[in-house]
Amino acid sequence: MNAQSITRNPYIKTVIGTLLLLVYLFPVYWMIATSLKSRTDIFATPPTLFPIPPDFGSYAREVVNNPELVEVIINSVIISFGTMLLTLVLAVPGAYALARLKLRGAGVILLVMLISQLLPSIVIAGPLFIIFSRVGLLNTHLGLIVADTTFTLPFSVIILRPFFLAVPHELEAAAKVDGCTQLGVLWRIVLPYVRPGLITVGAFAFLIAWGEFVFALTLNTNHNQPVTVALNKFIGQYGTQWNDMMAVSTVVALPIIAVFASLQRFIVSGLTSGAVKE
Amino acid sequence: MAFENSRPAAYRSVPLTWSARLSKNSHYLFVVPMLIFMLLTTGYPIFANFQMSLYDLNVATFRSGDAPFVGLNNYLELLRDPAFVYSVQLSLAFTSVSIALQFTLGFALALFFNRPFPGNGLMRSLLLLAWLLPSVVGGTIFRWMLDGDYGVFNYFLRGIGLMQDTRYWLLDPNTALAGTIMANAWVGIPFNMILLLAGLQSISPTYYEAANIDGASMFQRFAYITLPMMRPVALGVLLLSFIYTFKVFDLIYVMTAGGPVNVTTVLPIFTYRLTFSFFRFGDGAAAAVLLLLGLLLLAIGYARLIRFEEAA
Repeated sequence: MNAQSITRNPYIKTVIGTLLLLVYLFPVYWMIATSLKSRTDIFATPPTLFPIPPDFGSYAREVVNNPELVEVIINSVIISFGTMLLTLVLAVPGAYALARLKLRGAGVILLVMLISQLLPSIVIAGPLFIIFSRVGLLNTHLGLIVADTTFTLPFSVIILRPFFLAVPHELEAAAKVDGCTQLGVLWRIVLPYVRPGLITVGAFAFLIAWGEFVFALTLNTNHNQPVTVALNKFIGQYGTQWNDMMAVSTVVALPIIAVFASLQRFIVSGLTSGAVKE
Repeated sequence: MAFENSRPAAYRSVPLTWSARLSKNSHYLFVVPMLIFMLLTTGYPIFANFQMSLYDLNVATFRSGDAPFVGLNNYLELLRDPAFVYSVQLSLAFTSVSIALQFTLGFALALFFNRPFPGNGLMRSLLLLAWLLPSVVGGTIFRWMLDGDYGVFNYFLRGIGLMQDTRYWLLDPNTALAGTIMANAWVGIPFNMILLLAGLQSISPTYYEAANIDGASMFQRFAYITLPMMRPVALGVLLLSFIYTFKVFDLIYVMTAGGPVNVTTVLPIFTYRLTFSFFRFGDGAAAAVLLLLGLLLLAIGYARLIRFEEAA
């Protein structure tokens, strides 16, 4: 069989692709499989590939009957939705103005935004720690929402701007003729039009805030910690109880998987539009 | 755009009334909240880093508030500190090997997914899942898989006959960095793939059709059409990957916390330790500034590259 016939039969590629996918996603499978094993099963040699019958002991111990984990999950939910909200409130008018209203310095603002989203969090974390300690934002939900938004905001402006650029001018002009104010035009005419962009940006802000670690580690050292920092602490506490740790990891990963499964086409398009061309 | 330009010139020369002027400037109200936010939470911290880096700021002087001005002394000390130099070398090694792996594998996958076949779209997005998982989760999974006693990776290597003994990947100074690179490359592959795939799909099929008529082989089409056409996109992806990989903190922190004996203390972790473990705020700020300047240069390069593409 030569190279030509391989590329001609599309199902051969489907088979190869499935195999690649299985190999690539094995770590995710291994997380879930380990979380469903008993304490003796995780130390079996050779390791058992399928956890049959599944043992839900880890979930019972470390998730359902663990008020500490429930608490950090609530923290993460508050922080992630808060970040999503703050990001949208600031990014939507900003990106709209950069795309549609004639502003002096729009090019510079855009450049600053593009560069801001590439900055390492650890550089900003030190000074933020000092600022937050003065204004009482350390160890608070709001503090982490603000810190996470330093990254999600520039990112969102860059992703949203092209969506606003694509809104037909005639639509806005007609609304203005009918007596709409600029804000009214944005709210009633433009926003419904760019809904896919809003979903993309909202989903990204949520995903990024949910997985954020650097700010959480440095700014919320005592209270209101999110799941990421809690998971890192578990590693130290649980040593070799890998099934418990994988159960907690799975729970931390679950919202990401859920958001991804329901909004994947928005996420994939946002990623490509945001990074290659802005 | 068309609407604004279609106004007659005479209309524009009429002096604006007070309310018209207000509404014209009110456009700025749309960007002001965003700009104030960025100024306070990103602009000021960057400035504060520069400022703090010039003072001998530690726990004692931070409390008393009379840290002496030391000029560029913190920088000179850092550059003479072997631990700092070592962390920069580690960062460069971690970054270059990681991106070499994820770029090559990502490119190979992009070529594979470039032509349509049943299930293509679904598989492509499923690959992205790994990139979206929190680094802390990815790091924890790899910690478990690379475990010496019961890790599945050792078992796999023994199974295919590559290794007989037991290797404690993340506890052994010789292999800890390799372990973190493996995990990081795993995370980065789909990111590279998706961006490179977007580049591949923007190449006009007419080039390949013309090459087919001329009887070009698969290798010739790749070498003389795909590679040259992909150069700008590939450069952009490499730059972006470099920036993203150089600043990786969470994945390494979760896997090794910089150990064993500092062999995975890359520059971001080194900076973190100065400020948050040793409370040497002045030195930490100086290290942060150096990290920032390095990445800023690359970020500006990336921004220029993107503009260039837009203009083209």
